[in-house]
Formats: sequence, C-alpha cells, structure tokens
Amino acid sequence: MQDNQTSRIRDGSPTVNEPQVPFSSNSVRLSLREWLVAAVVFSVIFCFAPGLWERFEKFEPGPDYRIPYELSGNYRLYDRYCQWACSHYETLIIGDSVIWGHYVSRDNTLSHYLNENAGRSRFANLGLDGTHPAALEGLMRYYGQSISNKKVILHLNPLWTSSPKADLQTEKEHHFNHPKLVPQFSPSIPCYTASHLSRAFAVAQRHVPFLKWRLHLRLAYDLPSWTLNHLQWNPLRELAISDNYDKSRSASKPGRGDYQWVQLSTSLQWSFFRRSIEMLKARGNRVFVLVGPFNEHTLKPDSLNTYRRMKNEIEAWLRQNAIDYYMPPVLPNEFYRDASHPLSRGYAILAEQLFENDSFKSTILNPGED
Amino acid sequence: MFFHKLPFALFFLIVYPIYLALKGTRLRLPWLLTASYFFYAWLNPLYLILILCTTLLDYIVVILMSGTRYRKLWLCVSIVFNLALLGFFKYGAFFADNLNVLLLSLSIPYTVPVPGFLLPIGLSFYIFQSMSYSIDFYRGKIERERSFIKYAVFVSLFPRLLAGPIERAKNLLGQLHKTPKFSREDITDGLSLFIVGFFKKVALADYLALYVNKVYDAPEQFQSPALVIATFMFCWQIYFDFSGYTDMARGIARMMGIRLMLNFNNPYLAASLGEFWSRWHVSLSSWFKDYLYIPLGGNRKGNFNTYRNMLLTMVISGLWHGAAWTFVVWGLVHALGRFMTREMEKTSLYKDRIPKILKQLFVFTFVTFAWIFFKARSITDAWIIITRIFTSGFEKPDCPLLALVLIFAVWLYQFAHESRLKPVLELRPVRIGVVVLMVLYLAVFAQSSEQPFIYMQF
Repeated sequence: MQDNQTSRIRDGSPTVNEPQVPFSSNSVRLSLREWLVAAVVFSVIFCFAPGLWERFEKFEPGPDYRIPYELSGNYRLYDRYCQWACSHYETLIIGDSVIWGHYVSRDNTLSHYLNENAGRSRFANLGLDGTHPAALEGLMRYYGQSISNKKVILHLNPLWTSSPKADLQTEKEHHFNHPKLVPQFSPSIPCYTASHLSRAFAVAQRHVPFLKWRLHLRLAYDLPSWTLNHLQWNPLRELAISDNYDKSRSASKPGRGDYQWVQLSTSLQWSFFRRSIEMLKARGNRVFVLVGPFNEHTLKPDSLNTYRRMKNEIEAWLRQNAIDYYMPPVLPNEFYRDASHPLSRGYAILAEQLFENDSFKSTILNPGED
Repeated sequence: MFFHKLPFALFFLIVYPIYLALKGTRLRLPWLLTASYFFYAWLNPLYLILILCTTLLDYIVVILMSGTRYRKLWLCVSIVFNLALLGFFKYGAFFADNLNVLLLSLSIPYTVPVPGFLLPIGLSFYIFQSMSYSIDFYRGKIERERSFIKYAVFVSLFPRLLAGPIERAKNLLGQLHKTPKFSREDITDGLSLFIVGFFKKVALADYLALYVNKVYDAPEQFQSPALVIATFMFCWQIYFDFSGYTDMARGIARMMGIRLMLNFNNPYLAASLGEFWSRWHVSLSSWFKDYLYIPLGGNRKGNFNTYRNMLLTMVISGLWHGAAWTFVVWGLVHALGRFMTREMEKTSLYKDRIPKILKQLFVFTFVTFAWIFFKARSITDAWIIITRIFTSGFEKPDCPLLALVLIFAVWLYQFAHESRLKPVLELRPVRIGVVVLMVLYLAVFAQSSEQPFIYMQF
C-alpha cells in the first residue's frame, strides 16, 4: 500500500499527500538512464574534441611569427607553436618579452635580425611576454615538451632578480605574470597565495587535454565577450590575430633606478633558470644562454656595482657547468626603451654581435666544427 | 555562498551525504538547521542575529496567540516588529536621505544621520515567509508548529533562504513534518532543475549583463538602438537571473526530498498583465494578493476601490523590491498598466478578435518598458533613457547578434513548450541533446561569474 502511495508518474505529479507542485516550466527533465547517456556523450566530447579540433583548426605561422600578445596566456597555442617551430626551424629562441620584442614589430625582433644575418629562416621566436624564469620553467616543462634535440638560445633577463618582489620572494601577496605556470605546491613561492582549489585546477589544466583546449577556446575565440565587444556579426576570427602590438607610444623611459638586487644564492628566479637549463639539456637540447643586455645606463653607481658582481657570479656558474653563453656589452642608451627592452636598432646590433661571437658560432651556427 | 560558486559545491558535497544518512532519524532537521545557519553565516555571521530574531518572534507570537483572546494584538506585534526590522535595515537610508532633502528644502538646519550598513541578503524573503506563518495561524488556516527546530528550518531552509521562493507554512512546514520519501527520480529531477538554473544564470544572465550594464551605466552616451536593445536584454537578463536562481533552489531542495513551489512559469508568454503576475515571481505575487490585496477588499467593492487596492499593492510591491523611487515608479507603471488593460480585456473585441500572439507581444512590450525604471540608477537616468530612445539618432545600430539569437532560441523553446509542439521537446534525444549542449557551453565558455543574483539585493 505504501509503495502504491509513493509511486510516481513522469508528468511531475507528486506522491500522494505531497503538495501539488509542477515540475518546471520546461521539458528538460532526464531520468537516471538519460543522465547516464548524457554523461557518456559528454565524456566522448571531453576525450575527443581537443584532438579533432586541432585537426580542423588552421594554424600556419608566417615568417617572424610570435605568439600574439593578447594570447600570451594561451599555453596550448604556445605548445602547438613549439611543435611547429621544432619541425621548421633549427634554433629556438626562448625567453620573455625581450625575446618576444615588446616594443617592436615582429619584423624587428632579435629572431628576425638573426635570420637576416643567417640569410634564411633558422631562428624561431619562442618568446612569451611576461615569462619570468619561474614561469618559463613551467612553460618549458608542460607546454614545451616537443623541444628536444634542438639548438636552444635561452635568454636570461637580469631584471627578474632586481628586487625581492621581482624575485617573488616577498611574503606580501602581489600579482605576478603567469601564475598558472609556476609550481603550485612545491617549491613554495612566498608571494603566491592562490587557494588550494585554484592551484589544483592550474595543475589539472596542464595535464588534461580538454582543459587545455577549453583555455585555448576561451582565449582565442572568447565568443561571449567578443560578440559584445565587436558588435558586427563575425564570430569566428582567425587564430593568428594581429600582433602589431606597440607600446612605444605609451611607455616612457625610466630614470636612474636604485635596484635592490637579490643575492643569487637566495634568488628564486635564478634557481628556476638553472632548472630550465638542466631540463632542456636533459632532453638532449644544445643550450646557449644569452644574458641581457641589461640597460646599465638606468642604474645608479652602487646598484651598477652590485649588478656587475651578480653578472660575474652568473658567468662563473655558466663556465663551471660548461654552458655556452654570451654576455653582450651594454648597448647605447638610445637603443633601449626601458631597463631591459632593446629597440629595433638594439636588436640588430645584438644579432650582429652574436654572429661574431665564437661561442655562438660553435654552438649554434656551426655545431659540427668545434 | 552562492549556488553557482565553488564554495557552495563543497558545502553541498559535505551537507548532502550526511543529510541522506540522517533522513530517517531525529537528527535530520537539526542537521538541516545547522547547515542553513552555516550557509547564511558564511555571508556574514551577524546575519544570524536577525534571522534568529524573526524566527523567535513569530514562533513565540503564535504560541501567545493560541493561548489568549488577544490574537489580533499579538498579530499586530508580529507585523509591526517584522516591518520595523525590514524598514530599519532596508529602508532606513532611503527614508533618512529623503527626510534630509525635505529638511533642506524647508531650510531646517538639521540632518538625520543616514545608516551606513548594507541590507542583509535575503531579509525581505524570510521576513515575508515568517509573517505569513503568523497571519495564516491567526486566520486559522494552519496549526501551531510546536517544534522550534522545525519552525526555524521553515524560515531558514538554505536552498530558498537568499531569494525565495517565499513558501507558505502549509506547503513547507507540512513537508518538514514527514520523513522525506524521495527516490532516485528526485535526485535526477533535482539535477535537471539545477543544470537549467545554472545555465540560465551563468551562461545567459551574466552574459547579457555585460552589454546591459555597459549601456545602463552611461545611458547618455548611447543612442536609441543600443538603449532599446539593452532594455530588451535586461528584460531577459532579470528573468534568467531570478528564475535561474529559483530553478537551482528548487533543484537542490528536490534532491533533499523537499518540493518548493514553481516561482516562474514562462512569464513572457503572458497574454495579459494579470496573467503576467501569475507567472512572474509567483510566490511574491500570491503573497501580496493573499496578505494585502484581498484584505484591502480586493475587487469586491466596486471599481474605484479595486483600482485603489491594485495601486497600493503594486506600489508597495515595487517598494519591496528596493528602497528607491525608481522601484516605486516601476510599481506605479504596472498599476497604471493594469487599470488600462483590465477594462480593455473585458471588451469582446479584445477577447475574441485580437490574436493571442499580439496580446503576448503587447504585454511583453509593456513589461519591457517598465523594466527601464527597475534597472535605471535613478529617475533621471530612466528619463534620459526614455527620451533618448525616442529622440536620439539611429547611428551605429550595432547589434549583439549572439545574445539576440540565444534569447530568440529560449523564447522559441518556451513558445513550443506551451504549444502543440511540446511533445517534440519531450523526445528523449531532444532532452538529452539540450542538456549536453548546456553542459558543454558551460564547460567551455562560461566565465567564472562575479555578477551577484539581482533579486538577492532585495
């Protein structure tokens, strides 16, 4: 009797003695079996959509390609570009915005001038804006796995050790670039205070293809925001969006700064940089380190002395570990935009200097001749 | 703690299994009360003082009412105290501001201090629900609830605490008395309701808000097309936002074996304003009907009194939504609309000759126009929007087509749901397909939303 009373029918009628409440004002109502079917369909999409998407999505980087500035957080695109660059270029140049070419157009970057000196396309610009060494290490580890058995120019921008804040050492929380790329749990980064949940999600995003694809879609084709910001009907834009990004009009040149350089022995960024070298070497890459050129004209005398001592320590470590490197002399002040970013002419000079550097020649240009 | 945020998911993952384990025991309701109070205190622990005050007051008042001849006196105590609480926290700043303007205009050198605290979320909802208990008891419609715990759960039940539905004691308390008999269908139905609500809030309401807020934050910078589209989109935004919340609330409650009332029934398909109010925020509309409109005399004492009662009910209903003149005008506009259409609807020409779709279009247009007052930041802004709609140019008629396509799809779905096409929507592949598409859209495109629920502010 009780069973009869509690038996229910599918039109939303409640059990006997229960209030007469309509189910809803729509027909979206699934039984357990239908939920399971929906789960299976969703799982199939979850597993196969990222791979299928990659087959159909057009990606044809042209000469001097670099990851568009607006897509700096699109690590799946970076991953894809790495794979493409590995099969099309002999040498990959990896680094932050100095390599990317923050204040210059794509045909005025270091990679462009190196290619110009080489007479053909040998160097790929794998710079990514804002990738300090801690983020760069994560980028290489999780999204640059295709970089193996290649020639790699790894750039070190000393700016990332110019203060405890830049070195991510401060206890006080502050925003820094690419938090999803840094180690989420260990080693601990003092100023990184994201919740455990968002750290876990960042880790999942590195490993789960669907989540990588989701991030890619949201950044490359953010349909909802895009349709509201571009009110003409054109929902699918090209992947390779314009990267004629030029900050030169808005940036002003800084005065002389009194940098609080951190000790290399305690520097987080330096330790991550070393980890990057070790990782790249472990993958069979031939690594060449380019340090700077930092704009020493912006340093006060005391700060300059500390910086030079730090540079000597870096050089000693590179020698000690048998890593080929080049520490270019400081460029004339007018060839810099700020403390670390050269302008077009600066990149051209740097490329020429590299082509005259013996270590560069033996490691990158003519590796078989040393 | 909001339903579409991660903390709520964690909260529910802890609360729900324990609830299921305790469902046949005497610990079920204490557990539900603890969970509800924790849920509310998560927003601000001080809120608990207010909800406890209201709960204790009406619980005690009803006890006192049942043992005395002075039932009316105790009912007055309940109503006055509840309205005072609401007035102080919700309307204190509004009254003080207006009083200061008045004092200034009369050149009286005195300024009333303006209370600086924020309105506790959900206050209007649970106060109305608690008041309905004492009023219904006074009217002899319900029995006295002897268990304080049950009564406290009735007032604070977490799925409906922040923005309703405003349940009646007869419906909800009755369910709390019994051990819930829920099957796996309750869980799957609850999940279905929750997914639809989640989609409405995160994928639709919050998306439309991006455009609506941009236009309504600076209406003087936009021309007629943008203002019309933004108003049209707000009309749907507020529906998706509030009905989405209600769907989620009903879904969560359903999973716990509790059936909350249907609060929205495709209101934009209404063919008259009266019908609109029987489909929009049904729990509030029926509350005002039962506890204000009918006690005032309803439509029993001639046209003049009927319209007076309608006017009072609509204006007070407007003021319930927010302490601002814009809400009063919104209520007034709806009252005037009811006056005009009520007479028109009596004519045979309107009843028999006008196609239903035209009636629906008329009601929708009127309701959309009234939302201008609801959404605008001030009467001045509302006036700017209205005048610019009719007087500004038609340059740059940019159209957020994706938003309009989504709205049209939803309208079409609702239209089909209330037509002969309903069996098509009930086909298994259609239902499963709709769910998969919603989940996929949410998984891929929906942003982590920072938009609060609109109705929680009331």
